[in-house]
Amino acid sequence: MKEILKLKNLKKHFPVKNSWGTDVALVKALDGVDLKIESGKTFGIVGESGCGKTTLMRTLLRLVEPTSGSVILSEEITGNNFSSNNLEDLTSEELRYFRKQIGVVFQDPMGALNPRMLIKDIVSEPLVIHGKTDNVRSRVIELLENVGLGEEHLYRYPHEFSGGQRQRIVIARALALDPKILVLDEPTSALDVSVQAQILNLLNDLQKKYDLTYIFISHDLSVIEYMCDRLAVMYLGRVVEEADTDELFSNPQHPYTKALLSATPSFDKNKDKIMILGDVPSPINYLDESKAKLATEITEQEKLEISAIEGKGIDYIVRSSLNEVIPLVQISDGHYARVRQQ
Amino acid sequence: MLEIENLKTNFNTYDGVVKALDGVNLKIEDGEIFGLVGETGSGKSVTCYSALKLLPKAGEVVDGTIMLNGEDITNASDERLREIRGGEIGIIFQDPLSALNPVMTVNDQIGEILVLHQNAELQKLALEKEIPTLKSEKWKASPGVEFTIMAFCISFISLFVMLGQWRFSLPFLFVIMLMFLRDYLQRYNPASALDLMVIDALSRVKLPNPEQIANSYPHELSGGMQQRVMIAMALAGKAKMLIADEPTTALDVTIQAQILQLIKDIQKEENMSVLLITHDLGVVAETCEKVAVMYKGKIVEQATVEEIFSNPKNDYTKGLLEAIPKGSKERLKVPNLEETSVL
Repeated sequence: MKEILKLKNLKKHFPVKNSWGTDVALVKALDGVDLKIESGKTFGIVGESGCGKTTLMRTLLRLVEPTSGSVILSEEITGNNFSSNNLEDLTSEELRYFRKQIGVVFQDPMGALNPRMLIKDIVSEPLVIHGKTDNVRSRVIELLENVGLGEEHLYRYPHEFSGGQRQRIVIARALALDPKILVLDEPTSALDVSVQAQILNLLNDLQKKYDLTYIFISHDLSVIEYMCDRLAVMYLGRVVEEADTDELFSNPQHPYTKALLSATPSFDKNKDKIMILGDVPSPINYLDESKAKLATEITEQEKLEISAIEGKGIDYIVRSSLNEVIPLVQISDGHYARVRQQ
Repeated sequence: MLEIENLKTNFNTYDGVVKALDGVNLKIEDGEIFGLVGETGSGKSVTCYSALKLLPKAGEVVDGTIMLNGEDITNASDERLREIRGGEIGIIFQDPLSALNPVMTVNDQIGEILVLHQNAELQKLALEKEIPTLKSEKWKASPGVEFTIMAFCISFISLFVMLGQWRFSLPFLFVIMLMFLRDYLQRYNPASALDLMVIDALSRVKLPNPEQIANSYPHELSGGMQQRVMIAMALAGKAKMLIADEPTTALDVTIQAQILQLIKDIQKEENMSVLLITHDLGVVAETCEKVAVMYKGKIVEQATVEEIFSNPKNDYTKGLLEAIPKGSKERLKVPNLEETSVL
């Protein structure tokens, strides 16, 4: 096992200001995330909207500065030339080099492509920015062929392509600088299942060909199960469970993970269902002590939903029971979860 | 309940005619949940819009009949269609935030439907409880008067400020403040039969504190709550049929499970028919009894849920089912599809 990235107790708190400009609360988007990302494997991050997946990705790329904690880079990325292996301490020169090693694919391909640029300009832009200006044209054609497009697509605009083709262009651009890591932020959620299958196959082929490390963010568990080797489940800025994919799907420990797995619609009608009742609580933590803690007692909405569901033979958990912070414990080798130890 | 026969819809574009629907046959029985699945551009939404005559200008129904409860509504008048939409048939759209009006409170939006479709009920309730039907009868002067007073006050304030005698403008400022105060009080004072009916509609979709939610604006609610409000709106007109166009696509899986459970519960309680339009085969497998698969404006396969997932007959359906990752790490099979063509 070779690590390529290590996150150490990473925290990102966004201040909430009142109309006078003084801080009244903190949104704890990331609240102590520890992860090790293995080289050449696919690491999955699952969670609902607002759980901190995207903030995690942005802190990894240093698009936002973490409040505390650090991202430790391995030799594979630094190449022993850096003054420090901590992402925070890199000089601007080194940061430029670091950003070459890490490519990003976003959710909505149309939003990620400039509608006024030709495909050849879009794909060659990273090459030009990083000064690799010799043989740009042949390099662009090579990149396009890698993702199943070709020379005939060079002089077209993004709107002339279908959704799947656009996502291929975004992937080609992300690969332009031979990155070691590819961050995929919900790459297939805007696509149909048949196109999704094409893109997932393409990603698997590219991973084998270039020995890439993927960080795969998604809320679709069937895609995650198919793609990932290791998986972290996030809830309200914390990792609640982390394990190898097979282990996590066969033996989930945290109540939230169990409910999430059963909430995914499946063809098996007899599958045991666990409903999560209630709405996602607000991640705002008030500095004022009296309001500080997220309440762990059952809310009005949850009471109503419990009364609606009772007697139907459906298992349920309530969200307010998830608000309590429990330390991460080791279940088995490489399987961690935030559950109480018996 | 709803019967669509040989429905053909064309879109006239600059590049030619697009045959969005090419002979669709559908039959939805009383009290069943019917799923309509297909990929982007297969015509599933167009089917529902054609049935309710909600097509954009370029679209045109060229052939086919639409029967609602034995009544032919293919050539129904605008008045009749207005009765049907929101009355007999309720609709839920994909993105609740863009379907709700951002500058109206939930109370006003649901109230609008109740006044249009449940006026008799409203009058009855008002007589029983001896309260006014609408809030305006008790509280509001006509908007014209309010506007005039406001304009009068503002012009005097500006006049005095211009003359340098700002002290004289204070009483007018006070009047304006009073009017805002009255507006605010009105927002938190349920007093009419309409308010009671709105609160009743909201509690049917299991929303907590319906009084408070009725007085809030859509952006103040979470995604799941907004979708619940949409369902309450769709049901407010005592709908016998619910059309849900991708009701859970914009929601998380956990909230999706809640909303689907709610739709199932309500369907059972009221014995409604539900037409669920979606691209997610998993959602269909969990909620529906019958399914139709659409591809390129045609229904390629129609069967019960058990049959379609255990024994798909059509090649396209087979391809669609194979394209979904299902646990094993084998390479995914990609169905061989042609793109929808312009004719």
